[in-house]
Amino acid sequence: MTDERDPPEIPLEPFPVHRPESPFPPLFESLPPGPAASDSDWNRNAAAHDLSVAPNPGRENRLVALGRFAFPPDPPLDDEGLAARDRRWTTRTIIISAAFLLVFNAVSPLNWSRQQAPSWLQGTIQQFSEVWVGQLAVFGVDMPRQGVREAWTAARDARFAGQEPAPPAP
Amino acid sequence: MLFPTLAFGVFFLFVYFTTWSLDHENGRRKLFLLLASWFFFAQWDWRFVALLILSAVLNWGVGALIAQQQGPKKAWLVGLGVAANLLILGFFKYYGFFIEQAGDLLMRFGWERDLPLLQIVLPVGISFFTFQGISYVVDVHRGKTPPAKSLLDVMLLMSFFPHLVAGPIVRASDLLPQFDQAPRLTRVMATHGLLLIVWGLFKKTVIASELSVNLVDPVFFDPSAYSAFDIAAATYGYAVQIYCDFSAYSDMAIGIAALLGYSFPRNFDQPYRAASMQSFWRRWHISLSSWLRDYLYVPLGGGRKGLVSSCINVFITMVLGGLWHGAAWTFLAWGALHGGVQVIERLGRAAFGDRRVVPTVIGVLVTFHIVCLGWILFRAENFELAMAMLQGLGRAGPVTALTPLLLTLIVGGLAMHWLPPRAIEGVAERLKAAPSVTLGLLIGAAILLVEAVRPEGVAPFIYFQF
Repeated sequence: MTDERDPPEIPLEPFPVHRPESPFPPLFESLPPGPAASDSDWNRNAAAHDLSVAPNPGRENRLVALGRFAFPPDPPLDDEGLAARDRRWTTRTIIISAAFLLVFNAVSPLNWSRQQAPSWLQGTIQQFSEVWVGQLAVFGVDMPRQGVREAWTAARDARFAGQEPAPPAP
Repeated sequence: MLFPTLAFGVFFLFVYFTTWSLDHENGRRKLFLLLASWFFFAQWDWRFVALLILSAVLNWGVGALIAQQQGPKKAWLVGLGVAANLLILGFFKYYGFFIEQAGDLLMRFGWERDLPLLQIVLPVGISFFTFQGISYVVDVHRGKTPPAKSLLDVMLLMSFFPHLVAGPIVRASDLLPQFDQAPRLTRVMATHGLLLIVWGLFKKTVIASELSVNLVDPVFFDPSAYSAFDIAAATYGYAVQIYCDFSAYSDMAIGIAALLGYSFPRNFDQPYRAASMQSFWRRWHISLSSWLRDYLYVPLGGGRKGLVSSCINVFITMVLGGLWHGAAWTFLAWGALHGGVQVIERLGRAAFGDRRVVPTVIGVLVTFHIVCLGWILFRAENFELAMAMLQGLGRAGPVTALTPLLLTLIVGGLAMHWLPPRAIEGVAERLKAAPSVTLGLLIGAAILLVEAVRPEGVAPFIYFQF
């Protein structure tokens, strides 16, 4: 306990407090830089007949140009657009996690429903869960969870040399 | 409704989707979050929602009056606001304790009386939201934060469900500016938040629960049945358990708030690698220790009036910090131990200056063992049990409670203090660029691992009782 506030080299806030900047640069910054423009096109040693007659290398293929005309690219995202993009990404992440758990950890809602006081909602969830767990068990998707649990139980039951063995599970 | 339960998971998903669907209407968003927070709080006891509302109205009113007044009236108002908050806390948390002590004292002097004992139910989280109320009133008085623009903001500040029942103590200056505008969720916040939630789940439901059920609770219940080795293991085990339990809650609270677009301050910073008690309190329950510093130690005079005064102030602060944890003599003794050691350290610094007298390794070991001694007082229900634990440290006998898995969990729980200091942030920085499918599968697999090994059911967090 001191009069001083915590030293500034230990940041306490894991996140910026006010509207943080997006970690991603605006789209136009991520595009590759174009050819650097020279200050002047004057070339002291060139004669007129030395000028290139080849087509402009920067000119776009007509097919690509047509495609770009038919399907114009979106303008670079503004601040709101970036925020919405990050939010959609987070939501997708959460939904994928939830779906993964609904399949591979299907027994969890069943266990939870069995611990609740009997009610219409509890009964409905339990019935749905039983059917769901039974269907998934056919495909063996409960095996990973079961395998980890068995390994953990074996580790829990292990004893040091000379100790009494673990009591049998009820 | 505990964080690591399916019910909370469903509740959070509903809140997450509804909140972000109100993204462009900050007022409605805050109103929805307030209603959700009250619903969350009502799962313990709906009657205490009224207490929460009363406390928020009180602090909002006092804050508004302070902002309008000038001169000595402001001091009176802030005193009134602090006293009202302490009255609420004192009535619910300390009434029974002080009445019991008063009865004992009167009996010793031969003036036995029937004092009005009440069976008062302790509202969960009351220590946290009253401290937040005090910090709001004092900060408005000090001009550190402007008064809230609306009652809604103060209500949400005090009721926001991620921090409501066990902290961290989020101050008005941290959260009110965030309420002013619709929050924004960035990839790094989301990744960090998800990782903190998974890490918190692991620490609470695997490490803390396993140690609690199979080692700490049985040994602390009857220390006389165990040998020195088991008692030492239970003490170290409790040190790991309480860290994993409380820091897990803070991690999950920070992570949940981050997914809703709000930033909470860090509450733990690898406390067991502290080489002094002062350093320990910069790393353990940071939001409480900084609160005690700013609203108790500094107003008492801090270190401005010389060494003796600063020693007295730090001792008083730590004893009252102990009392904040619970109405029991063991908590007072715990606070006195921490305060006493800090006084000794302060005297040592006065005598030797900033020269490093003790190597860091020795400092870490000594600090950790003093902290463990304190945890015995903290965990034991009374002094007799604490003394029985200490006496048991000299008892020879076979090792019966400690198993290879529990030993691994204790070592792992301590070893995590020597991870790189910002390991989760580092991982989040790397994962933020991953596709949502990859991160979603990773998070799902991590939760599956935790779910596979956790025991059925989950015990309440230790700090809920405070």
